[in-house]
Amino acid sequence: MNARTSMSVAGGAALTIYALFFASSYDQRILTLSGIYVILVLGYQFIFGHAGALSLAQGAFFGVGAYTTGILGSKFGADFLLTFPLSIVVAATLAALVSLPVLRLKTHYFALATLALSQLLLLVAINWEPVTGGANGLPGVPPVTILDWKLTRGLPLLTFVWAIVGMAMVIAHMQMRAGRVAAFTVMRETPLAAPSFGIDSGMLRLRAFLLSAAFGGAAGALFVHTNRVVSPETLGFGVMITCLTMTVVGGRFGILGAVIGALLLTHLPEWFRGFDEYYLVAVGILLLAAVVFAPEGIVALIAPAKAPHENDKPSLHTQSKRASATKPSRLALEAIDLAKSYGGVRALDGVTLSFGPGEIVGVIGPNGAGKTTLANVLTGLTPVDQGTIRLGGRDITNTPAHIIARMGLARTFQTPQLPNALTVRDLVETTQRAHGMSPAADEALDLLTIRSIADARCDTLPHGLRRQVEIARAIATNPGILVLDEPAAGLSPDEQDEIAAICISLSASGMAILLIDHNIEFLSPCVSRLICMEAGRVIADGASDETLTNPDVRNAYFGVISS
Amino acid sequence: MLLTQIALNALALGSAYALVAIGFVLVLNATTAVNFAHGEGVVAGGFAAVALAILLPPDIPIPGLLLLPGVLLVTALLGLAIGALAYLPIRKRPPISVFVSTIAVGIIIANGLNATFGAAPRTAPPLIGVGTIEFLGASLSRQSLAIIGITAVLMSGLAMVLQRTQLGRQFRACAQDPEMARALGIRLTRITMISFALGTAFAGAAGLLLAHQFFISPSDGGTLILKAYIAVVIGGWGSLRGAAAGAMLIAFFEVGVATFSSQPLAEGLLYIAVLLVLFFRPQGLFGEPQQVRV
Amino acid sequence: MRTLPRLVITFATGMAAILSLVTTSHAEPLRVPVLVPITGFLSLEGTSQKNGAELALVGTDVSFSVIDTATAPEIAINAFERAVDASDVVSVIAPMLGTQMLALVPLADEFGIPLITVSGTAKITELGSPNVYRFFPGDAVVKAAQARYAVEELDASRPAIISQTTAYGQSGRAALEANLRRIGTPPVFQESMDVSVKDMLPVLLKVRDSGADALLLQLHSGPTALVIRHAKALGLDIPIIAGSAMHQPETAALLEPAELKGVCAESGSSPVSETSEEMQAFVDAYRRSFDREPDAFALGQYDGAQMILAAIAAGAQTADAVRSHLQTARHEGLAMTYKSDGKGNMAHSAVIICYDGTGRVPQIVKRYENLTGVLLD
Repeated sequence: MNARTSMSVAGGAALTIYALFFASSYDQRILTLSGIYVILVLGYQFIFGHAGALSLAQGAFFGVGAYTTGILGSKFGADFLLTFPLSIVVAATLAALVSLPVLRLKTHYFALATLALSQLLLLVAINWEPVTGGANGLPGVPPVTILDWKLTRGLPLLTFVWAIVGMAMVIAHMQMRAGRVAAFTVMRETPLAAPSFGIDSGMLRLRAFLLSAAFGGAAGALFVHTNRVVSPETLGFGVMITCLTMTVVGGRFGILGAVIGALLLTHLPEWFRGFDEYYLVAVGILLLAAVVFAPEGIVALIAPAKAPHENDKPSLHTQSKRASATKPSRLALEAIDLAKSYGGVRALDGVTLSFGPGEIVGVIGPNGAGKTTLANVLTGLTPVDQGTIRLGGRDITNTPAHIIARMGLARTFQTPQLPNALTVRDLVETTQRAHGMSPAADEALDLLTIRSIADARCDTLPHGLRRQVEIARAIATNPGILVLDEPAAGLSPDEQDEIAAICISLSASGMAILLIDHNIEFLSPCVSRLICMEAGRVIADGASDETLTNPDVRNAYFGVISS
Repeated sequence: MLLTQIALNALALGSAYALVAIGFVLVLNATTAVNFAHGEGVVAGGFAAVALAILLPPDIPIPGLLLLPGVLLVTALLGLAIGALAYLPIRKRPPISVFVSTIAVGIIIANGLNATFGAAPRTAPPLIGVGTIEFLGASLSRQSLAIIGITAVLMSGLAMVLQRTQLGRQFRACAQDPEMARALGIRLTRITMISFALGTAFAGAAGLLLAHQFFISPSDGGTLILKAYIAVVIGGWGSLRGAAAGAMLIAFFEVGVATFSSQPLAEGLLYIAVLLVLFFRPQGLFGEPQQVRV
Repeated sequence: MRTLPRLVITFATGMAAILSLVTTSHAEPLRVPVLVPITGFLSLEGTSQKNGAELALVGTDVSFSVIDTATAPEIAINAFERAVDASDVVSVIAPMLGTQMLALVPLADEFGIPLITVSGTAKITELGSPNVYRFFPGDAVVKAAQARYAVEELDASRPAIISQTTAYGQSGRAALEANLRRIGTPPVFQESMDVSVKDMLPVLLKVRDSGADALLLQLHSGPTALVIRHAKALGLDIPIIAGSAMHQPETAALLEPAELKGVCAESGSSPVSETSEEMQAFVDAYRRSFDREPDAFALGQYDGAQMILAAIAAGAQTADAVRSHLQTARHEGLAMTYKSDGKGNMAHSAVIICYDGTGRVPQIVKRYENLTGVLLD
């Protein structure tokens, strides 16, 4: 048992004793509301914490759940066994319907779209009086009723709500096992690169959005049973702000953070009632202090986590159930007449090239020649305007990057794309999981002789090691094709030699490697062919010596000097 | 004639919203943080005008325009306080923390004003007198013309500062690349604090402009920050031009579309328009398309 | 400014209040908790409620504490549960926000504690609860007065309605339309709007185009003043008969006397307009205590609290006894005579006030006494 778990157990026990033996009916009510907010915040953690998307629709899902239960309950006296699941389904369905146009939006554009959606729903609730009761809302929502068994206020309702909170915690825990938490971390911290590691960002975001909506709907339904009335306030921006505040103050990840945030923010105004009309000023001051002194959430103060997964212990000691295949699949990559423009700039202009198993092909060219665009296009990160790409004979033109990655094309980036919060082992194994492989990082780490840093967090690594970790992650999935974008940049000559040696040994086992770099001293000894690009075109493609002596190349590369 | 009047009203309301939105972007560009207390900055500006007007002798009618320097000063100081309390201590932390710390500051300001001034809406003196001016058959409200005029002066002043001065260049450098700006020796803390002062002063000016014609009450901050946020995002995150355009779009719906439909319908249509814009232009009206560069 | 000392004092009393919770009191006086919105968009009206109740209860044997209900139903319920946690609660001063009342009624029934409110929302006395007592004329009364004054006294034949999309606005709008239809002059134009709307030109242009000859409002304080100011600026020269928000001195303070000329409004009462000695004494005491002008909400809540005190003086020591007093007794309040209609509607009279353009204190131009006929019994 670690510190956080024992603390949670002790806190939970204390709270239970308080609720059972010392809490007045009023205290029990506040605890009931806290429980409902725990569910809401647990849901919000999926999309806002793990997926890192600022959704402003969590209040809307809460309100939709509230109105589903409120309308069915007050107008038809429907049973909890019907209304509760329906509230969840309606909220999740709404999320599914809007996900297609909305989930692709980035950062604040996503936030605004979810906000506009929430405001539209609020308008409907206020103005569709015959159905929603308008601004007054609908009174007479029955208490939780399960087959003629009516749950009374106070301890029974409190127990019932916290039983559902318990279920929500179990679901959240099961949904966010260590492996998936790590995949979310990669997606959140390196969003542009994540698909290249086989991570299906779209599916992850959708999963997080649907889960957040389902939890929001459940919380809204319980909220209405607790207040016995449904009104537009449940759809208002206030609920959203409360939820956001609870999540940030408590913690964006993990059950403990949700519980702390919900308990604190629900009780805070009640504690300060003595200040009369200034009590909300006092609440504001304390809230400000909480954020300033615990910007990562109070949970981070109580029990600092080294990585954002308190749900599971990372699978440090369960490695190598099955040794991964040592031989890479043999693949060839073929690109025909690729073109890509940004605005008026032709980054790629009729590029044709191919390479196959056992080959190491170097790509050189001055800055802005289109080398990185080539890497992005070949790996599917950037769609092409024109041309065809074939991987192992299959047309992969404009195929999503995560599918190309899973077909056996791995890459590294000019700036290593390593999420801060993961350990090296978690990082490598997350990529393996995304490729449908059993996690087994050791072999790849051994190949780069970096097994000793397997348990170090990525943000603690120096630059040279970061490059090696990137390469280890790329080869850990036994790709047929490896694209390395400036792997030697910023490395010492010794480190460069090491990378060259690794490339040679990988190609000897049948991997096809595309090496993009400036550094001819680094490339020359290891490449079997050298391609030179200039202004989006291939101006030379041949053996190393041939390319280097090509007059066009000399002109492009050393133009200023030689002319 | 009718259309002139509608257009003038929309332009006046849009101008005030644009000041709010531009103040928001100034802070945003210097800090990459969202100042959620910005709406309360508008409210504070309105109440500063109300308070200053009370302090002045009641028998001499002072035009609200003369209160502008005082309002700018008070709200600039408020901006410094917001920056120092809610941003500087946590600037290296996730930007979302600033979201919540400024929400807290907003709660403090709104409820502090509610407790000291009372909950009633207040009105500030008219900017340059009341009544209308007849022009080409349309009766144009002096107040509306004054709002548009003051906004134009403040915005041109800002444009001059941003384009012609050393400070302006530093501002733009920070907006484009804070790391590089720091490497070049720009003192980020100084720029940050200036941006909070300037941004909140813009909000405060909007408060003064709105307070006579549309009143001001302590709980107004929430809807104002919502409007500013919509204007800034739909215009394109970080774009000053976009923020002004977004503000005008909102005013167009509130005044123009509402004239030919109904208020709730116009509000609904605004949100639908926002969703449509995002569908066809995911980067907002004036935003740069996001390129993959890794 | 004296803000800082006030802040310090308030914090000190806050601390003292928290301390006093620790050091328990021994005597158990009867309690009448005051649950009203003193923050949020209805805090103007809520503060009037608080002040009215406070003025009646201070210096009596009854103990009371003020708990904010803000604007959401669940906060009202929290406040209620907190308030009734103590024993000897004989009645609760309840918020005037209709939504919050709807949420409190089932709880009041469960605990058997009568709620005293000035909420106008029609629905709260239609739930069949024996625990709702409304000391302000409900929409059925004031909206009848508003409609009748427009049609019968101002000869309106084509009325238009602008209302708010809040509980107050929607409930009042429905009652207003029903009353207009009953007297044969259905509205020629209606629109509802959010409280945050700034520019009233769009809606006023539509009112003008509809050919309306009178404008009836059901808006909160700020929007009421906005419509009047923008209507004058537009030159829309038809009579405006506003809802009860207009009679609040804070609303009139937003406008110049000239802008107010010819504006009328319904209300339960208008304390500042009355000249009787008792009313003058109330107005003076209110000003001394709160440094504000009293309005009809404060007076209604004052009368309601007085009726509870009367019940206690008559020997009621429990919530049940207070309730039966409220159900049966007749109370001569400052604003009017109160008596339950069997559903908890205590107030049956309304006034129409008008401004003559010289000042911000309105004249009472018409009294609609006993519109429901209950007082004849």
